[in-house]
Amino acid sequence: MNKISIPIGPQHPLIKEPLSMKIDISGERVLGGSLRLGYVHRGIERLAQTRNYVKNVYLIERVCGICSHIHTTTYCHAVEALLDIIIPPRAYYLRALMCELERIHSHLLWLGILAKHVGLDTIFMHTWHDRELALDIMEEITGGRVLHGANQVGGVRFDLDKTHDAMIRSTVQKLKTQVEGLVDVIENEPALIARTKGVAPVSAEMIRKYCVVGPVARASGVDVDMRRDNPLPPYDQLEFSVVTHPDGDAWARTVVRAEETHESLNLCERILSDLPDGPVSTRVPRNVPAGEVIIRSEAPRGELFYYLRSDGTDKPARLKIRTPTIPALCLLPEQMSAIQVADIPVVMAGVDLCVACADR
Amino acid sequence: MEQLKKRLSLLSAILDAFIQAPETVDYPYGPLELADGFRGAIVFDTEKCIGCGLCVRNCPAEALHFDKKSREEYRLIHYPARCAYCAQCEDDCRHGAIYHSNHLVSPTTNPEGLVVILHEKKKE
Amino acid sequence: MIEGYFYLLLFPGLVFQVICGLAFEWLDRKLLALFQRRVGPPWYQPLADMIKLFSKEDILPKGTNDLIASLLPLISLCSVLTAGLYVPIAGFSPYSFEGDLIVILFLMSVPTLAYYLAGIVSIGIYSVLGGGRSLLQYFSFEVPYLIALSGPAVMGGSWSVAGIMASQFTLGPFILFQPLGFILAIVGLIGKLKRDPLDIPSAKSEVVGGSLTEFTGLKIALWHLVMNVQAVVGIFLLINLYLGWTKLANPIIAIIVFIVEFLIITGMLSAASAVFARLRIDQLAGVGWKILVPLALAQLAFVILMGV
Repeated sequence: MNKISIPIGPQHPLIKEPLSMKIDISGERVLGGSLRLGYVHRGIERLAQTRNYVKNVYLIERVCGICSHIHTTTYCHAVEALLDIIIPPRAYYLRALMCELERIHSHLLWLGILAKHVGLDTIFMHTWHDRELALDIMEEITGGRVLHGANQVGGVRFDLDKTHDAMIRSTVQKLKTQVEGLVDVIENEPALIARTKGVAPVSAEMIRKYCVVGPVARASGVDVDMRRDNPLPPYDQLEFSVVTHPDGDAWARTVVRAEETHESLNLCERILSDLPDGPVSTRVPRNVPAGEVIIRSEAPRGELFYYLRSDGTDKPARLKIRTPTIPALCLLPEQMSAIQVADIPVVMAGVDLCVACADR
Repeated sequence: MEQLKKRLSLLSAILDAFIQAPETVDYPYGPLELADGFRGAIVFDTEKCIGCGLCVRNCPAEALHFDKKSREEYRLIHYPARCAYCAQCEDDCRHGAIYHSNHLVSPTTNPEGLVVILHEKKKE
Repeated sequence: MIEGYFYLLLFPGLVFQVICGLAFEWLDRKLLALFQRRVGPPWYQPLADMIKLFSKEDILPKGTNDLIASLLPLISLCSVLTAGLYVPIAGFSPYSFEGDLIVILFLMSVPTLAYYLAGIVSIGIYSVLGGGRSLLQYFSFEVPYLIALSGPAVMGGSWSVAGIMASQFTLGPFILFQPLGFILAIVGLIGKLKRDPLDIPSAKSEVVGGSLTEFTGLKIALWHLVMNVQAVVGIFLLINLYLGWTKLANPIIAIIVFIVEFLIITGMLSAASAVFARLRIDQLAGVGWKILVPLALAQLAFVILMGV
């Protein structure tokens, strides 16, 4: 049959954020594809050079909506490392609590999107309903569902008291039962297994060649997790296990993310019981001494990399962000070689696109 | 048998959902509950403001504008359409003069016309 | 003469079937929403959608044949409305004759061919892909549907729907003897209507709208009406062939029983669309030919042997 080229264009029901893929197909077989990004480029790295360090926290928060907290956490760690101050330990634990809650809500969001692309609208609605429980906790303690405004240079801007503690524990318990029910349904739904098992397997060599990180890498057997390999405080004092899976297909990515949600729920409870007392922030000077620093942390989609250089004033000289979605997007045209047209949504959802992160 | 029960769990989930009430709220015809810490419209207390301008310095959206002619004559303007509702001004003010309430800001069709003069002090 | 116009235009003709089609769409969307913990649309939503679509601009890409694109939804609508004339409603069927089951099944297949032609004639990439898939799905699911529907015909001893329904007074409702046939007929109906989970021709994530991607305005309103009336006629057919308690002595009780059966079958269709995921097109052909057709043939053989 003839080769035709269909656009998964800037506007398509399949993608939430604009990117442009041109996929060559012949009948129902996909031959290859090409990718083009840049539709949501806002120039955040350049804008960060025109604002002072306090205003930059709010700018960095708006790089991505789903993983906004980890961006500000990494940025604040970078500035505090340049200032050479130690913030109170209670602030570290509260930041980790929000990071784990964000991981839970991001994975539940992804699960819903995968179910929707496969045709299971009901699981999409139920998953996003359970995600609201996690967002409710975040709204109660910080005041915002998506853009929390939780971090500041020198600590955090919120605190927990006894009622918050009880509320978080009961909601986490409720979430645990809901997530277990969801995982039961997913692992035993024959149509979902048939649609995702064996689809677009990625080998460990390919992962290393493209420097892919995060759950996509862990689903191919590559054991890399920044919370364990290069821990920011308090992850060096918390115990948790890293989930990997030897196959590299879409089913493995589903299982890895479902298990990681469970691990994050356990981590939340551990953080709450280990929470030390004390203040939640310290005062910091306005001008940051000159120097450069690299901070790496674990976003829901993989390793997040920040490079910050300062020159002694109150504005940064250079801020460089490398988000985990960039190598995963580069892997996407490679995966499009041996699949069918009906597998395209599963492959694109398995990579967990966050184009706003990739374009900055 | 376990397999069959697990495969039917989605069916029981939807029948459960059918019996319970829907989760979505019929806003604005129904009530809307906001959290206590929700950052809503700006509230200003003119008694406490001393005209230092600390709130303006760190506003990330540049939504606060301060015209200072002298210690007795100044004007503080707020643009609610540019505001990001981040509460940085609330943290910076040492006297508690500016803070967020719990109410939503109503939508409008003319965002450029939204200008609120928070505090105006003229020379007597 | 006046009676003829009444039957054709009001009941059980145009107005009655259109109202039933809109009611079916509302019931389906409301049930699906309640299964997913949402509120769902109010009762006048399908009518409001139709009226809104009438007022939209009606354009097609350059190079399409406007005459064929306008005729296709009209011809499909006329076919399903005519098919609906022969199906008894609570026991009342003015136009039934021997052999009208074959006519109904033939007329209900016209929209599928029209859907494929609509995909070809609107020369967009997604339309052509959707059209090809719809033909493949039609071949996989029409065969078990037809074989399953021959079961009641053999058992009832007649090829007219009113005759099959009448023969259930002496023998009992056919669902008790052919439950497998009932399930296969429902699966075949879902495949014919291109509903979730068998909506591969119009899967939103893969081919944006299937064959109907480029249609707007009056034409898409007519296509939606075709889908709804086809669903309603299919459900009425199922009620008469398998659940035939509907010609009772008291007409009020017959109407109530008919409405209750309609609601039950609509509930089953909505639950099926909420619970199952979409298969790939090659897996679908496998399921259709490897599982459904042997089951349908086994059911038919059982019915024939029981009659002997």
